[in-house]
Amino acid sequence: MFSFKLGLKNLTRQKRRNIITIMVIAFAFFGYLFMDSVMGGMEEMSFSNIKNYDTGNIQVVHPEYWKDREKLPLENLIYLNQDLEESIKNTDGLLGVSPELRFKANLNNGIDEVAVLGLGIFPEQYNEVFDSQNYIFEGSMFAPGESKAVIGVKLAELMDLKVNDYITLLVRTKEETFNTIDVEISGLLNAPNPMINNGIVFIPLDIAQQALNVGNEVSLLAMKTASGDEDKITRALMDGFKNKNLDLQAYSWRESAESVIALSTAKKSGAGTILSVVLLIGMIGIINNVILSALERTGEIGMMKALGMREWEIVFVFMVEATGIGILGGLAGCLIGFAGVGLMAKYGVGFSAMGLDMSEFGIPILDKIYGTWNVPAFSFLFILSVIVALLSSIVPAYWAAHKDPVKAIYHR
Amino acid sequence: MSLLELKGVKKFYQQGKIKVPALRGVDLIVEQGEFSTIFGPSGSGKTTLLNMIGCLDTPTEGEIRLNGNKVSDLSRKALAMTRRFNIGFVFQSYNLIPVLTAYENVEFAIRLIDHTSELKVKEKVLKILEEVGLKGLENRRPNELSGGESQRVAIARALVKEPKLVLADEPTANLDSKNAADVVKIMVKMNKELGTTFIFSTHDPMVMEYAHRYINLKDGMISADERRG
Repeated sequence: MFSFKLGLKNLTRQKRRNIITIMVIAFAFFGYLFMDSVMGGMEEMSFSNIKNYDTGNIQVVHPEYWKDREKLPLENLIYLNQDLEESIKNTDGLLGVSPELRFKANLNNGIDEVAVLGLGIFPEQYNEVFDSQNYIFEGSMFAPGESKAVIGVKLAELMDLKVNDYITLLVRTKEETFNTIDVEISGLLNAPNPMINNGIVFIPLDIAQQALNVGNEVSLLAMKTASGDEDKITRALMDGFKNKNLDLQAYSWRESAESVIALSTAKKSGAGTILSVVLLIGMIGIINNVILSALERTGEIGMMKALGMREWEIVFVFMVEATGIGILGGLAGCLIGFAGVGLMAKYGVGFSAMGLDMSEFGIPILDKIYGTWNVPAFSFLFILSVIVALLSSIVPAYWAAHKDPVKAIYHR
Repeated sequence: MSLLELKGVKKFYQQGKIKVPALRGVDLIVEQGEFSTIFGPSGSGKTTLLNMIGCLDTPTEGEIRLNGNKVSDLSRKALAMTRRFNIGFVFQSYNLIPVLTAYENVEFAIRLIDHTSELKVKEKVLKILEEVGLKGLENRRPNELSGGESQRVAIARALVKEPKLVLADEPTANLDSKNAADVVKIMVKMNKELGTTFIFSTHDPMVMEYAHRYINLKDGMISADERRG
């Protein structure tokens, strides 16, 4: 079709202007793809940090405890008995189970005091579920029964503590009486999760149970599963608890991470806004291009009309040209985006180096964030660029084609 | 039946609150194969008359018939179709498409009406380019052609679809005397060989000499209409 050929050839006119429009579209697309990659990386790392350092894939708790879990109560705990052990043992797909006793405490270094989250654990079982132990920065993990503690480097820095220093944890027992736990710091943790580094004191579970006077009870059981198996295993656990008449509930990590998921949802609507701005930039670029081209080619449009071209045929010529710009802009954007996302995915960006602490924004990530590949975003954006270019050219092209032929020929 | 008939054609342009007459009542009959020139001072209505004949504009009053068909009150779409199949235009400023070669500029016109084989189209385009003396320059773009050569491309573009009528609005105004003479000679040749009817406006007495019919337009009316030979 000759009009198609003419539209394509017209792309070679006003090269500088076309290149500028293409680059504007390309950089707008790059901006979106880069943001999408960083936000995707942030989301992925946030979720991974929650699973690997905070909740595990599944948490088993008493339903009443779950409601008040933010307050760290010592009521409605789980009693570790044979029925529970059997019920868990009979559930397929569990890769690890770690009992935890979570409690409020004040850490005292002899001079200052700071509120912390106390976490009673069995290191061996904890290690089956969480990655924290791999991030021992200095010293070592304690053994069960030892009056020792592990804390995060940030907390140590804040309280001016180091390995082998002694600390006192002020706690309230189940009966609301005050008690203290004196422990020696056996190790410092520097995990990628800011919550671990800033405000948690790990102590042996048996020491915690004794000090809090909770017997053989724990706050929750954190469990590790293969990714994606959470729902299936949660259902199996619930069936097991029902059979044993245990008043317990299993929750997947998603239910524990509502705030981060809410942030992720907000991110999606934010991405939608960015996408709208990107498309608007593309649209303005294309409309501007078509209008300028039409003004410059008024005589030519007149000649086309004199030759007997109909309006839609002239519109088609402009649409081909505009769509060509959209395709080139989209391709260039995807190429630059590919390079940017590739670099981001490989090398990441260090927020701490920039003096930013993402945990202040509710994002449980420390140091580097790596980009993620969102291949559908590339194809989606490219297709959208073609459609937007095509659609946004129609009105200005029709305006050009609708010119009176006499006025167009003689530039009146 | 005459190729073209104009009866009492008037055209007024509205400029603010004033109605400016461009044509005050033109009666004209043009037969197939005529080679006519419209001349007259600036503002006499030459271009307006050509636009009316060429279906680019419609008269305020009066009737225009092309090949017996009334075209003076056709819709925009129907006018476009009439131009596409029946009329060729040659403009003073050539109006070639700069990104297309001489060949493609001519091909453009024929592609609008002829959807036959590539080979047939190529044959037609090359033949007409050869006839206007542009053999060997087919692949040049307008910026690589002289004014005379560009106008020959425009003539080839107007003729390639073998229209009944070719209208040329001051086709030699931008050319030197030699090129102007060459362009008119080509038009005369095409008129003789193809029997195409030519109507062109001009100020140039040298160019007028080639015409067989002289239509003098003055203040929007035909003041003289003479035939020669």
